[in-house]
Amino acid sequence: MRIYEQLFIVRPDAAEPEIDSFLEQITGVITSAGGKVEKLDKWGIRKLAYRVEKRHEGFYVLLQYSSKPDVVKEIERRFRVSDLVMKYLTVRIDQKLKWLEKRKRQREQRARQKPAAEPAAIPGEPVAQE
Amino acid sequence: MAETKGGKPISASQQTTGTDKAVVTRRQFFRRKKVCRFCVEKIDDIDYKDVKLLSAFITERGRIIPRRLSGVCSPHQRRLSNAIKQARNIALLPFTTR
Repeated sequence: MRIYEQLFIVRPDAAEPEIDSFLEQITGVITSAGGKVEKLDKWGIRKLAYRVEKRHEGFYVLLQYSSKPDVVKEIERRFRVSDLVMKYLTVRIDQKLKWLEKRKRQREQRARQKPAAEPAAIPGEPVAQE
Repeated sequence: MAETKGGKPISASQQTTGTDKAVVTRRQFFRRKKVCRFCVEKIDDIDYKDVKLLSAFITERGRIIPRRLSGVCSPHQRRLSNAIKQARNIALLPFTTR
Protein backbone atom coordinates (compact mmCIF):
# COMPACT_ATOMS: atom_id res chain seq x y z
CA MET A 1 0.00 0.00 0.00
CA ARG A 2 1.23 3.42 -0.90
CA ILE A 3 -0.13 6.83 -0.17
CA TYR A 4 -0.84 9.07 -3.11
CA GLU A 5 -1.95 12.59 -3.48
CA GLN A 6 -3.77 13.79 -6.53
CA LEU A 7 -4.54 17.37 -7.29
CA PHE A 8 -6.68 17.88 -10.33
CA ILE A 9 -8.49 20.70 -12.05
CA VAL A 10 -12.11 20.26 -13.05
CA ARG A 11 -13.74 22.48 -15.62
CA PRO A 12 -15.10 25.54 -13.78
CA ASP A 13 -18.38 25.60 -15.69
CA ALA A 14 -19.29 22.08 -14.58
CA ALA A 15 -22.30 21.81 -12.28
CA GLU A 16 -21.72 20.88 -8.64
CA PRO A 17 -23.74 17.62 -8.77
CA GLU A 18 -21.82 16.61 -11.88
CA ILE A 19 -18.52 17.00 -10.05
CA ASP A 20 -19.84 15.16 -7.01
CA SER A 21 -20.99 12.18 -9.04
CA PHE A 22 -17.61 12.06 -10.77
CA LEU A 23 -15.82 12.14 -7.42
CA GLU A 24 -18.04 9.33 -6.20
CA GLN A 25 -17.01 7.27 -9.19
CA ILE A 26 -13.36 7.86 -8.41
CA THR A 27 -13.69 7.04 -4.72
CA GLY A 28 -15.64 3.95 -5.77
CA VAL A 29 -12.68 2.82 -7.87
CA ILE A 30 -10.34 3.25 -4.92
CA THR A 31 -12.46 1.49 -2.31
CA SER A 32 -13.43 -1.39 -4.59
CA ALA A 33 -9.73 -2.08 -5.21
CA GLY A 34 -9.06 -2.26 -1.47
CA GLY A 35 -7.74 1.27 -1.10
CA LYS A 36 -8.83 3.92 1.32
CA VAL A 37 -9.67 7.56 0.70
CA GLU A 38 -7.95 9.63 3.34
CA LYS A 39 -8.76 13.12 2.27
CA LEU A 40 -11.06 14.69 -0.26
CA ASP A 41 -10.83 18.41 -0.35
CA LYS A 42 -12.59 20.71 -2.78
CA TRP A 43 -10.65 23.94 -3.02
CA GLY A 44 -13.21 25.55 -5.26
CA ILE A 45 -12.63 27.82 -8.23
CA ARG A 46 -9.17 29.37 -8.41
CA LYS A 47 -7.35 31.41 -10.96
CA LEU A 48 -4.89 29.43 -13.05
CA ALA A 49 -1.32 30.63 -13.47
CA TYR A 50 -1.60 30.07 -17.20
CA ARG A 51 -4.26 29.22 -19.71
CA VAL A 52 -5.42 25.61 -19.81
CA GLU A 53 -7.89 24.52 -22.46
CA LYS A 54 -8.59 28.18 -23.21
CA ARG A 55 -9.69 28.82 -19.64
CA HIS A 56 -8.23 31.06 -16.96
CA GLU A 57 -10.00 29.48 -14.01
CA GLY A 58 -10.37 26.00 -12.67
CA PHE A 59 -12.07 24.03 -9.93
CA TYR A 60 -9.33 22.40 -7.86
CA VAL A 61 -9.88 19.12 -6.05
CA LEU A 62 -7.35 17.48 -3.76
CA LEU A 63 -7.62 13.76 -3.24
CA GLN A 64 -5.43 11.76 -0.91
CA TYR A 65 -5.67 8.00 -0.67
CA SER A 66 -3.72 4.86 0.05
CA SER A 67 -3.84 2.06 -2.46
CA LYS A 68 -1.86 -0.25 -4.68
CA PRO A 69 -0.01 1.24 -7.63
CA ASP A 70 -2.38 -0.09 -10.32
CA VAL A 71 -5.25 1.96 -8.90
CA VAL A 72 -3.37 5.11 -9.84
CA LYS A 73 -3.15 3.89 -13.40
CA GLU A 74 -6.90 3.34 -13.54
CA ILE A 75 -7.70 6.71 -12.02
CA GLU A 76 -5.34 8.53 -14.34
CA ARG A 77 -6.96 6.74 -17.26
CA ARG A 78 -10.34 7.95 -16.08
CA PHE A 79 -9.02 11.49 -15.73
CA ARG A 80 -7.76 11.41 -19.28
CA VAL A 81 -11.01 10.03 -20.66
CA SER A 82 -13.27 12.38 -18.75
CA ASP A 83 -13.78 15.80 -20.29
CA LEU A 84 -14.43 17.21 -16.82
CA VAL A 85 -10.79 17.05 -15.80
CA MET A 86 -8.53 19.62 -17.41
CA LYS A 87 -5.27 18.73 -15.68
CA TYR A 88 -4.06 16.42 -12.97
CA LEU A 89 -0.95 15.77 -10.90
CA THR A 90 -0.21 12.59 -9.00
CA VAL A 91 2.40 12.54 -6.26
CA ARG A 92 3.44 9.59 -4.16
CA ILE A 93 3.78 10.94 -0.64
CA ASP A 94 4.31 7.99 1.71
CA GLN A 95 8.10 8.31 1.49
CA LYS A 96 7.86 12.03 2.08
CA LEU A 97 5.60 11.57 5.09
CA LYS A 98 8.01 9.04 6.52
CA TRP A 99 10.92 11.41 6.01
CA LEU A 100 8.99 14.26 7.61
CA GLU A 101 8.21 12.16 10.64
CA LYS A 102 11.85 11.23 10.97
CA ARG A 103 12.85 14.88 10.84
CA LYS A 104 10.25 15.73 13.43
CA ARG A 105 11.55 13.04 15.75
CA GLN A 106 15.09 14.31 15.31
CA ARG A 107 13.95 17.83 16.10
CA GLU A 108 12.23 16.69 19.27
CA GLN A 109 15.23 14.73 20.35
CA ARG A 110 17.46 17.72 19.85
CA ALA A 111 15.02 19.89 21.77
CA ARG A 112 15.14 17.43 24.63
CA GLN A 113 18.93 17.51 24.68
CA LYS A 114 19.13 21.26 24.43
CA PRO A 115 17.79 22.27 27.88
CA ALA A 116 20.77 20.51 29.39
CA ALA A 117 23.20 22.33 27.11
CA GLU A 118 21.65 25.77 27.39
CA PRO A 119 22.72 26.74 30.94
CA ALA A 120 26.31 26.28 29.82
CA ALA A 121 25.78 28.38 26.71
CA ILE A 122 24.16 31.36 28.41
CA PRO A 123 26.99 32.24 30.82
CA GLY A 124 29.35 31.99 27.85
CA GLU A 125 27.58 34.72 25.89
CA PRO A 126 28.30 37.76 28.11
CA VAL A 127 31.96 36.83 28.11
CA ALA A 128 32.01 36.87 24.34
CA GLN A 129 30.35 40.30 24.27
CA GLU A 130 32.79 41.82 26.72
CA MET B 1 51.39 66.40 -23.40
CA ALA B 2 52.99 67.49 -20.19
CA GLU B 3 49.65 68.45 -18.76
CA THR B 4 48.03 65.15 -19.53
CA LYS B 5 51.05 63.25 -18.28
CA GLY B 6 51.14 65.26 -15.09
CA GLY B 7 47.40 65.17 -14.63
CA LYS B 8 46.75 61.50 -15.23
CA PRO B 9 48.98 59.74 -12.71
CA ILE B 10 47.93 61.99 -9.88
CA SER B 11 44.24 61.75 -10.53
CA ALA B 12 44.46 58.01 -11.18
CA SER B 13 46.37 57.32 -7.99
CA GLN B 14 44.03 59.50 -5.99
CA GLN B 15 40.98 57.89 -7.49
CA THR B 16 42.16 54.34 -6.97
CA THR B 17 43.04 54.90 -3.36
CA GLY B 18 39.80 56.74 -2.75
CA THR B 19 37.54 54.22 -4.47
CA ASP B 20 39.36 51.25 -2.99
CA LYS B 21 38.71 52.46 0.49
CA ALA B 22 35.13 53.29 -0.32
CA VAL B 23 34.53 49.86 -1.87
CA VAL B 24 36.08 48.05 1.07
CA THR B 25 34.11 49.97 3.64
CA ARG B 26 30.91 49.73 1.65
CA ARG B 27 31.30 46.00 1.23
CA GLN B 28 31.89 45.51 4.90
CA PHE B 29 28.89 47.61 5.63
CA PHE B 30 26.48 45.98 3.22
CA ARG B 31 27.57 42.38 3.29
CA ARG B 32 25.29 40.45 5.52
CA LYS B 33 25.46 36.73 5.85
CA LYS B 34 22.45 35.23 4.14
CA VAL B 35 20.76 32.44 6.00
CA CYS B 36 18.47 29.80 4.68
CA ARG B 37 14.92 30.73 5.49
CA PHE B 38 13.82 27.11 5.72
CA CYS B 39 16.56 26.29 8.21
CA VAL B 40 15.76 29.32 10.36
CA GLU B 41 12.00 28.85 10.39
CA LYS B 42 12.40 25.07 10.58
CA ILE B 43 10.18 24.34 7.63
CA ASP B 44 10.77 20.71 6.72
CA ASP B 45 7.88 20.28 4.39
CA ILE B 46 8.22 22.39 1.26
CA ASP B 47 4.87 21.62 -0.28
CA TYR B 48 3.97 22.31 -3.89
CA LYS B 49 0.48 23.37 -2.77
CA ASP B 50 1.81 26.22 -0.66
CA VAL B 51 1.68 28.92 -3.32
CA LYS B 52 2.26 31.76 -0.90
CA LEU B 53 5.58 30.34 0.25
CA LEU B 54 6.79 29.28 -3.17
CA SER B 55 5.93 32.55 -4.85
CA ALA B 56 8.48 34.26 -2.61
CA PHE B 57 11.18 32.29 -4.43
CA ILE B 58 10.28 33.08 -8.02
CA THR B 59 10.89 36.27 -9.92
CA GLU B 60 8.19 38.40 -11.45
CA ARG B 61 8.80 36.59 -14.67
CA GLY B 62 8.24 33.25 -12.98
CA ARG B 63 11.87 32.09 -12.85
CA ILE B 64 13.27 30.30 -9.83
CA ILE B 65 15.52 32.61 -7.82
CA PRO B 66 19.06 31.17 -7.65
CA ARG B 67 20.52 30.12 -4.36
CA ARG B 68 23.26 32.72 -4.49
CA LEU B 69 20.62 35.44 -4.38
CA SER B 70 18.11 33.96 -1.97
CA GLY B 71 20.62 32.35 0.39
CA VAL B 72 18.73 29.06 0.62
CA CYS B 73 20.93 26.09 1.53
CA SER B 74 21.40 23.45 -1.11
CA PRO B 75 19.25 20.63 0.34
CA HIS B 76 16.37 23.05 0.75
CA GLN B 77 16.90 24.62 -2.66
CA ARG B 78 16.61 21.17 -4.20
CA ARG B 79 13.32 20.53 -2.48
CA LEU B 80 12.15 24.02 -3.22
CA SER B 81 12.86 23.79 -6.93
CA ASN B 82 11.12 20.43 -7.13
CA ALA B 83 8.09 21.88 -5.39
CA ILE B 84 8.03 24.87 -7.72
CA LYS B 85 8.19 22.60 -10.74
CA GLN B 86 5.33 20.50 -9.45
CA ALA B 87 3.28 23.61 -8.76
CA ARG B 88 3.94 24.79 -12.31
CA ASN B 89 2.65 21.54 -13.66
CA ILE B 90 -0.74 21.95 -12.05
CA ALA B 91 -1.08 25.64 -12.95
CA LEU B 92 -0.54 26.96 -9.43
CA LEU B 93 2.57 28.85 -10.56
CA PRO B 94 3.41 30.19 -14.00
CA PHE B 95 6.11 28.81 -16.26
CA THR B 96 6.58 32.30 -17.64
CA THR B 97 4.65 35.50 -17.51
CA ARG B 98 4.99 38.19 -20.05
